[in-house]
Amino acid sequence: MLSTAQSPPNRNRIMLLSAAMMLIGVLGIVFFFASVANDAAIQFVLNWTPSESGEQAPSLLLVFLERVGIIVSILVVSAGIFFVVIGWRLRLGAIRVAYWARIGLIWLGLGASAFIALEIFNSFNSAAMDKEAVDFPALVSTVLPALMLALFAFALWRWLSNNLEVIFSGEDSLLGRETRLAWNLLIPTLTIFVLVAARPLEQTFIRSLTDKRFAGSAVPQFVGLDNYVNLLTIRLDTVDCKKSISDGPCDTRANGSIRWESIDRELLREGFRTIFNLRLGDQSLAISGLDDDFIEAISTTVIFTVISVALELLIGLFMALVVNSKFRGRGAMRAVMLVPWAIPTVISARLWELMLKDTSAGIFNKILLDLGAIEAPLAWLSDPALQIPTAIIVDVWKTAPFMALLLLAGLQTIPSDLYEAASVDGANPVRRFFNITLPLLRPAIAIALIFRTLDALRVFDLFNVLFGRQQLSMATYNFETLVSNQQDGYASAISVIIFIFISIFAFMYVRLFNVES
Amino acid sequence: MTRKQLRQRAQQALLYLLVILVAIYALFPFYWAFVTSFKTENEMFQTAAYLPRNPTLQNYQYVFSGGSFLLALRNSALVSSAASIFALVAGSFAAYALGRLRFRGRVALLYVVLSMTMFPAISILSGLYTIVRQLGFFGTGLSLLVTYPIFTLPFTVWVLTSFFKGLPAEIEQAATVDGCTPFQTFRLILLPLTAPALVTTGLLAFVQSWNEYLFALNFTATNPSAQTVPVAIALFSGEFSEQEPIAEIMAAAMVVTIPLVALVLIFQNRIVAGLTAGAVKG
Repeated sequence: MLSTAQSPPNRNRIMLLSAAMMLIGVLGIVFFFASVANDAAIQFVLNWTPSESGEQAPSLLLVFLERVGIIVSILVVSAGIFFVVIGWRLRLGAIRVAYWARIGLIWLGLGASAFIALEIFNSFNSAAMDKEAVDFPALVSTVLPALMLALFAFALWRWLSNNLEVIFSGEDSLLGRETRLAWNLLIPTLTIFVLVAARPLEQTFIRSLTDKRFAGSAVPQFVGLDNYVNLLTIRLDTVDCKKSISDGPCDTRANGSIRWESIDRELLREGFRTIFNLRLGDQSLAISGLDDDFIEAISTTVIFTVISVALELLIGLFMALVVNSKFRGRGAMRAVMLVPWAIPTVISARLWELMLKDTSAGIFNKILLDLGAIEAPLAWLSDPALQIPTAIIVDVWKTAPFMALLLLAGLQTIPSDLYEAASVDGANPVRRFFNITLPLLRPAIAIALIFRTLDALRVFDLFNVLFGRQQLSMATYNFETLVSNQQDGYASAISVIIFIFISIFAFMYVRLFNVES
Repeated sequence: MTRKQLRQRAQQALLYLLVILVAIYALFPFYWAFVTSFKTENEMFQTAAYLPRNPTLQNYQYVFSGGSFLLALRNSALVSSAASIFALVAGSFAAYALGRLRFRGRVALLYVVLSMTMFPAISILSGLYTIVRQLGFFGTGLSLLVTYPIFTLPFTVWVLTSFFKGLPAEIEQAATVDGCTPFQTFRLILLPLTAPALVTTGLLAFVQSWNEYLFALNFTATNPSAQTVPVAIALFSGEFSEQEPIAEIMAAAMVVTIPLVALVLIFQNRIVAGLTAGAVKG
């Protein structure tokens, strides 16, 4: 059937197009690997000769991963394979394949154009910065091939678009049409994803396997999983309580807690520190880790997240319901509600720092003193027992409006006739809330909860401004290891663990609310 | 007065009470920043007073002296508008694909988009720094434009996806019968129906970009003409004292919050507009 539809001239055009597509694919892959091999940093490693100073040789694999990476390589190679496969299958003259060829060509053209724009911008920008004339020969030599590629792709696309239905034939399904549209629509988002999320995260992952120093000149080397072992090693020991008189009662501190013996000296020398003592009668289970700060940061962050997100949901829902009812000045009220969210965190954290001063100069203490709720000013920011509650208060105040706005938008999608019908049936407001509002708001609540939870687990600005090193969240611990301790490799391992930890949370959440279906 | 009227009055009164409660909760710290912005440096260390003892405008004078703060306001407005428009365009495209089109890998892609929010910004800061350098965007507003989607895109995509999913299937069927291509259905029919979600996510994206600090500090701090507001404020030096210039920072906070409040006032009507048009009925 295909052969009858194809007249000889059409057959030739199809073969030409097919060959062009395959050529683009093969040349693309070849060109990519050639430019990788010519990369300055990779050439440097290839030509590296050991000097007398006895430096370790830089690892070729490490440099390749830093400069190019696996994700970009896979993407380029699969794009090349896509072109070759589409080119090969075009021979049969099926219209489905031709549509895919058109998509490949238009994005190739757009990609090449973006590259040209970037090159031109860069050369003008750097010339302006160095106050020099633009280096036109160099610019032309890089832009010209890209320009030819872009023009070629666009011309081919144009020609294919005009002749597609003349030359090609066959069935095209609705499913196929939807799939193609979907990929076209997703490409901008996926490009951004690769550029600013996947690629940097890949570098972080690679660095987590090395001993790289931040802003150091030493050549980083692979250290395997050492960073992870150090972060995650935990051991359990049983220890006795301290007794000043043998066979007497356990010693206690002023606040009534029992004093426990420390773990074995040998273990302390290895770097183990006790994080928590779990009481078992006269003995206790000492949970110790090689990096007790990190384990503590995890537990602080989880406690902070669970309590603050729960409170935010309640307060945000309350706010959304209030500003969704009819009253005069509702518009102004919506703006008022968003004020806490609108103040930059760096500033609002300072503002709270000011309000929570540990003397009567802090308005919080002043109000509580005036009300007679406390006898003496509280040290909200420096008393370890008050630090997490303080962080929760500030975070809830700041982000409940975010919740409220998302829920308000969700409330708008509930048709008002549902409420009218329920009123006619005699349902009171409480029943209407639980039987109509809450079930129909579920998707909005699910999304607000997911994003707030993931945000809270990553909390940084707030802890950094309010507590510095005194009380660490996972992200501020990450920051301290990177910036204060300069341990880039170790900090990267922390990042990877945080990523895995949060993704488990996210996956459970999405499953729990069944959002994806 | 009948009993019913009385009950309505009581409900009204309760509602206004709740409104006032929410207003106080949201505004008290803002009020405190407002009061502080008129205080002198000395007063910061005395017992807190609800009104400034010697109101002064010198904090505002400090903020606007030199003109660099106005420049930062302009930069922030440009970067945040561009970033939120980009998030809305790219996000609504992706959300339409993920919410209404059938294709293989849909669920996996939803997770891919969400995975952008699963690590703290600090984790990828040095990686992003390299990329911003390679693109040649370092020290320009473009560096923020390419990096801000990392936090604006995921929730835009997810919120809009859930809204697209919530729309009845009959809409597309009717559009297909009328001869619309899928993209026309999206642009002419579905997009207008999601106006409340578009406005909401647009506002949230704008505010997040407006307030972003870490990227702005690392990618634009070296170039005073590209600094955004949070960076400009953080770089305030205590000209009047050795202390941290808290009163000046609060004055600046007043100035930067007002445009956002105005923005919400302008757009808040749109949050309710969408589905009241009756497009879904019938």
